[in-house]
Amino acid sequence: MDLSVDAGEVVALTGENGAGKTTLLRICAGIIRADSGSVRVAGKIGYCPQVPGLFELLTADDHLVLFGRGSGLNRDDALRRGHATLAEFGFPLHERTLVRDLSGGTRQKLNLALALLADPCVLLLDEPYQGFDRGTYVNFWDHCQKWRSEGKSVVVVTHMLAEFGRADRVVELAPHPSRATRRGLR
Amino acid sequence: MNPVRLLIMAEMHGRDLTRRHAALCLLVALPLSFYLVSANNANAVAAGGVGMAFSVSGAALFSVLSSRHVDQRLVLTGYQPIELLLGRLLFLGPLGLVIGGGFSTLMALRSGPDRPWVMALGVSAVALQSVAFGLAVGAIVPLELEGTLVLIGVIGVQLAVQQRSEVSKVLPFYGPRRLLNSSLTMHGPIAGPLFQTALYGIGMLLVTRIFISRRIDIERHDLLE
Repeated sequence: MDLSVDAGEVVALTGENGAGKTTLLRICAGIIRADSGSVRVAGKIGYCPQVPGLFELLTADDHLVLFGRGSGLNRDDALRRGHATLAEFGFPLHERTLVRDLSGGTRQKLNLALALLADPCVLLLDEPYQGFDRGTYVNFWDHCQKWRSEGKSVVVVTHMLAEFGRADRVVELAPHPSRATRRGLR
Repeated sequence: MNPVRLLIMAEMHGRDLTRRHAALCLLVALPLSFYLVSANNANAVAAGGVGMAFSVSGAALFSVLSSRHVDQRLVLTGYQPIELLLGRLLFLGPLGLVIGGGFSTLMALRSGPDRPWVMALGVSAVALQSVAFGLAVGAIVPLELEGTLVLIGVIGVQLAVQQRSEVSKVLPFYGPRRLLNSSLTMHGPIAGPLFQTALYGIGMLLVTRIFISRRIDIERHDLLE
């Protein structure tokens, strides 16, 4: 696998289940180590995992402060930046609801906002729109255009054929070797 | 290491635990029930200590397990694994001491030990050792059922074996148990058990540090020129 993403480029990463899309993103984020090869990045990475990794008994604000501190933001800046992003995606900011009580789509909005909190120049988004309602889904792809214009490198794992046109490039991963062999594709 | 990050970790763990009302009640009720059901026999103090070891180490264990999906992401944002560990310690340690303080007062009033202050020392040792033990189990066995069974097994064996047996001496609560027993007479040792407790506790924290780092540390990629 050899993938290079320029600044101001949106790449849609697709492929069969088990092809390694999530693994590739996790390697790029540094969460798992590759057996071989190397990754080089232009700066700070924002990683949005497929399954939101959140504390069930904390609120959205708690998460913003906690994640913001890791990125070197003080409490006020973390809340201000986080609220701005959450508001763009229609998160119900007026409620101080625990994550446990949020709907799947609303959790995902928080998940995405945390990836964007430190204003990273590389965005690795693993099906970040899961559970989004129609309006938020369209809004997400509109934001991809915005991030492109801001010069960010964006990689989005997606199976949505209709949205491939929104990306500058579509990269399809080959099926996992074991599956390809079974189907006589090797 | 950034002290502000330690404090924020401690604060968030505090918020998380204080919202678990049933868990908080059980943290106090468990050692209390262990002590009260055996309050009329000679092992009451030891039983109370074991109950406390169960509850505090359980809280520490689940603080690690409940955040294992988030920890790596926090490291990705900039936290160091040691900051996550010390942040938990910063909240759980004082919490254990607060529970231990109330519990020692009760036991001192009801059981009438010869040296109440040694009892308070012993209960505090149980509390702190329980935090280190729970964190270590959570780091080494990061799965709910397996981790809980290890915790129950070790503390259960500590209760079941005689204090003088060889098995007892290699278990984490040997030192605190000796302290609790020392409090019942005027002549039991204090410095030795305290040293054993400290040594074992530091050892467990070092093991926790190694396993946590191996599990959640991330690879920092080279920067493009």
